[in-house]
Amino acid sequence: MSVPEQSLITDEHRAAIGVKSDPVKVVIGEVDAHRMRDVLEDKDPRWADGTGLAPSYVIAGMGGGPRRGMPQILPGGLLTQQEWRFSRPFKIGEELSAVSQVFDIRDRLGGRYGYSVLVTQGTEYFDSDGHHVASAMITITQFDPKSQRKGDE
Amino acid sequence: MSQRYYEDTNLDDELEPLERTPTTDMAIDFFGRDNPTNPAFSDIEAGKRLGVGGALVPGLLKLSWITQYVSDWAGTEGHVKNLRAAYRRPDVADRPLVLGGRVVDKRVEDGKHIVELEVVTLADGQPSTRANVQVELPAKG
Repeated sequence: MSVPEQSLITDEHRAAIGVKSDPVKVVIGEVDAHRMRDVLEDKDPRWADGTGLAPSYVIAGMGGGPRRGMPQILPGGLLTQQEWRFSRPFKIGEELSAVSQVFDIRDRLGGRYGYSVLVTQGTEYFDSDGHHVASAMITITQFDPKSQRKGDE
Repeated sequence: MSQRYYEDTNLDDELEPLERTPTTDMAIDFFGRDNPTNPAFSDIEAGKRLGVGGALVPGLLKLSWITQYVSDWAGTEGHVKNLRAAYRRPDVADRPLVLGGRVVDKRVEDGKHIVELEVVTLADGQPSTRANVQVELPAKG
């Protein structure tokens, strides 16, 4: 695909900005938490077996996360920015409620793909008392791989 | 893992560099073999189609390493509160990454002792990820 003559961001895409999703239930699974901890060879005693706590980076594998419902405007995508915020540690087995929304959609001319679309989406996780536990925000740069500048392969 | 205290932390203090080598197996195991992931994390050809030059190292894995790196630096009474990362260049599996960092700010906020770090992953000496990390440290007082 060559550089489009006009933005590929439509009113329908823009209408998604700021609309909160229905909450999705997410459970901090013991198997997942321990697997991620073990892959990183993390020996921190705070989330050792039997402590009931999970390392904060389990947010990387939590369902209901930021990519859910993200508009797909171009076929390729790379994660280019990310933010995690933690209000308290995750507890193994606890059920959280995840609410996502698109914060921004913008396009960009230039760079290795000529034309790209940047979509920023975030998810907040709340416990059963409605208290904030964590947030995750990502920006995905969407592009058409066929438009890649020669020499960047 | 030794405990770090707010009073003992100074601007421009550097974290000891740490080398990690991401592999395709690590990327798949981290998210779970039964869970769907980007094919470019395990398939060199899929990575090349994205223009990466090989299997792509997941940004989530790199941010998790950064979280662990800072948590280990802070000690068990420290808490990573916030991480903001910009992925400057894609990283390719099986190529070593060096994590490094330094203290760029320290302040007391609402009675909490906050230290801010700049952390990078370096591939061939060039930053591929730049992150700002806020960590709450205990105070001696």
